[in-house]
Amino acid sequence: MPLHLTVNDEDRVSVRDPLTPLVDVLRDEFFLTGAKIVCREGFCGACTVWVDGRPVVSCLLPVGLAVDCKIHTVESLSTNGDLSVLQKAFEDHDAVQCGMCFPGMLMTLTSFLDREPRATREEIKAALVGNVCRCTGYERIVDAAFSLASAG
Amino acid sequence: MLHAVLLRAEVPSARLLAVDVSRACKMPGVRAIVTAADAPGLHGIGIADQPLFAVDLIRYVGEPIAAVAADTLEQAEAAVAAITTEIDLLPTAISMADALAPEAHLVHPDWRNYEVLFEGAAHAGNIAWEATVVRGDTGAAFSRADVTVVESNFRVGRQNHLSFEPRVAIASYEDGRFHIETSTQVPWTIRNVTARILGIPASHVRVTVPAVGGAFGLKFDCALEPFAALLARASGRPVRLANSRQEEMFTCLCRENAEIKLRSAVTKEGEIVGREAVVLMDCGAYGGEQIFLTTMTAHTLGGNYRLGSVRISSRAIYTNTAPNGAFRACNGVYNTFALERHTDEICAAIGMDQFEFRRRNVLGDKDIGSTGQVFEGDVLRPMLDRMADLRSARPSKKGTAGRRLYGRATTVGTWFIFVGPSAATVNLNTDGSATLVTAGVEIGSGSMMQALPQIVANTLGLHPEQVIVRTADTDGSGFDLGVGGGRTTVSLGAASQSASEEVRKKLLSVAGEMLQTAPERLVLAGGRVEIAGAKGSGTTIAKVVERAQQLLGPLSGSGSFTRPGVPAMAGCARGHFIDAIDIPVFAVHECEVAVDPETGHVEVLGYTVVQDVGHAINPRAVFGQIQGGVVQGLGYALHEEITIDADGRMRQEGLETYRVPLAQDVVPVEISLHEGAPSIGPLGTKGAGEVPILNVAATIACAVSNATGRPVCEIPLTPPRVLELILGKNTQLTFPHISPFWEENVLTSQPSGKRDVAG
Repeated sequence: MPLHLTVNDEDRVSVRDPLTPLVDVLRDEFFLTGAKIVCREGFCGACTVWVDGRPVVSCLLPVGLAVDCKIHTVESLSTNGDLSVLQKAFEDHDAVQCGMCFPGMLMTLTSFLDREPRATREEIKAALVGNVCRCTGYERIVDAAFSLASAG
Repeated sequence: MLHAVLLRAEVPSARLLAVDVSRACKMPGVRAIVTAADAPGLHGIGIADQPLFAVDLIRYVGEPIAAVAADTLEQAEAAVAAITTEIDLLPTAISMADALAPEAHLVHPDWRNYEVLFEGAAHAGNIAWEATVVRGDTGAAFSRADVTVVESNFRVGRQNHLSFEPRVAIASYEDGRFHIETSTQVPWTIRNVTARILGIPASHVRVTVPAVGGAFGLKFDCALEPFAALLARASGRPVRLANSRQEEMFTCLCRENAEIKLRSAVTKEGEIVGREAVVLMDCGAYGGEQIFLTTMTAHTLGGNYRLGSVRISSRAIYTNTAPNGAFRACNGVYNTFALERHTDEICAAIGMDQFEFRRRNVLGDKDIGSTGQVFEGDVLRPMLDRMADLRSARPSKKGTAGRRLYGRATTVGTWFIFVGPSAATVNLNTDGSATLVTAGVEIGSGSMMQALPQIVANTLGLHPEQVIVRTADTDGSGFDLGVGGGRTTVSLGAASQSASEEVRKKLLSVAGEMLQTAPERLVLAGGRVEIAGAKGSGTTIAKVVERAQQLLGPLSGSGSFTRPGVPAMAGCARGHFIDAIDIPVFAVHECEVAVDPETGHVEVLGYTVVQDVGHAINPRAVFGQIQGGVVQGLGYALHEEITIDADGRMRQEGLETYRVPLAQDVVPVEISLHEGAPSIGPLGTKGAGEVPILNVAATIACAVSNATGRPVCEIPLTPPRVLELILGKNTQLTFPHISPFWEENVLTSQPSGKRDVAG
């Protein structure tokens, strides 16, 4: 049975089994490859997308449970080729190394800063508890997010 | 595209009697199945000991037995499950103590028959490779009446790279040639090793590499590529093969576990007159990188300090465990941990301040290293002084330790740049952009996408954004040794600079005619060529390229680089792949820790790095590498632990049990770059991405020892281990398989690849 989804404000139809992890539908069926598959166990956060505005690890969500939900992926952050303010801050802080964790970092932190626009460095670090990075040692990612929080 | 899955062994040691794929072949969607019969060749580094698939013997849990390609991943998995094997279990050698015990099970019973690819080392039985250093008379040094003898044992576990992108390859076979697109650091190694395994000319393999999602040394070896290639040929279709995270965990080419015995004779003034060391490196079931890495002990454990005399035995040991591999500052990380902790034990024994001892003894200008190479320039001593200045310029963090035990430590480290051959071509285009063609790969360090464009742009008067970096393609570029060992900016950088200089020369010659000015009076900058001292007098580089294209044809240049070859002292190093280090790199680290005496938790309060970078082409990128490298080292020092059970199976299968650093574990590293040390790198640069991890475990271990007053001999310093240490409940580290007499830890006094020695 086709599954009707709303992805990045577009109506999409998946023909995959409803138990297929959402990340596989996004990547393999819709070619939205921003969300990365790293652990498939919900620990690393690299596949984080928004489901009805909340950050969710898309490797653990069966696509059948995302029907009628509004899904947003990292591809939705930039509009008309303009980077979002957080993407721009990441670039300005030269935060990226291999880049595999960044789509998830962006989805988690964009959502967090919406809720906590005046967050402290410690609060930003706590918000990243579900997002692992193996390259950067985190501090510049935190610096980038904090530059927005402190700029207010 | 087809999807492939490997059938992997589930036992660590067995005779493989039969593999039956007949039922699997008939399963739905199955297009090809390959086994050992399709790839009979052996490969390896230094010694050809490794088959692609288990042949006759299974030597580790996870060893490939067969590979299946099917229309879908699920169909491939189902077919793998339908393959049946017949095995006879054999005894095992899981630990290095097992492997070196009398009557040990031989992981390679027919080791004598292997082809030796690099002559000069001794090897026998479970000792896969032995590299030794003998310089001076340590016997005389240790028997001097005026010396204190200090002995220490150390042990470290494995570390998993956990690069976020797994090892993955896509292969196709068309018109008699293979095309392999893969996630690797070494496109040319993949080309050559795949060809060797398949028994085809290397020119029949083309390897291309897109940007790589993290590597850290994991991807410095051929991995999944030959399987994908075989399946592509057998099925006639493109095949994708990717490791699952679980496969990545239990077949990771980890940083090897190691055991280290160190002994030093030191005068009361702190002069090290003699040093003897035995280092056992677990290579797992096959030699792989560890064969080469035995060489490095001479320069890491044998580094940092002036030694009156030295003897080192560095051995790679076969066990029935997954093969280990290369990992950022391979070999150096644990040998620096052992050396620096041993140094602090020397200081305690002779009653000398830890910092003062280092200031007196670190290698300086004209000092000789353990293999007799002569070092140039005073580098470590001024770096130590810089660290002392940084320390006195800010308050101690002791106050934040509260009721916890506070400790601080400063360590030094010696590393090197693994230079070797690189090639580059630069094409200058009529739009004023340049294309840089190499076999280099961007793995996230910024060397390819930041440093190299800066070098090319600097030579040609362009902006770095005008330099297009071609992704690696062995059909399109010259040979390259690979991205690793801190060599990218140095070797590929030097080749790129040389290629750019050829282009520059041609460009200036044409511009000279156009502007009626001698080329030496012309200046390239900002995309323009100007007459020196007369801004606006010239023209754009694009116009000159257009003119050159009409006169000479398109503007391009090529450049090459290889190692300069630094001499060592003849005869003191045996079984070594390199006798001296071409470009030494030094690091001084300092940290402050608080240790909770009730939980054993170690908190890093502050961390400072003074790093020798030669010349920092892109300081911001270097800072990023230092922060990231230190944090990877903190994981290794404190909580990244891999344990192997009695059945040879790694207990840590994913991120739930393998604990990597998270954002809340880390601190911002205070960084000071030491510039100006001698380097043959372009613009005086040295690689900066590998070395930041070098002395992190050493520094943390020394600081925890200072905090607790107990000697740290094992890492990682997990809370249970630290609690045991504080409570004095840890068992003394002893190595029954390492003789207290150094001579008994070497196979033979003469180098021989063929000599028959019991073992």
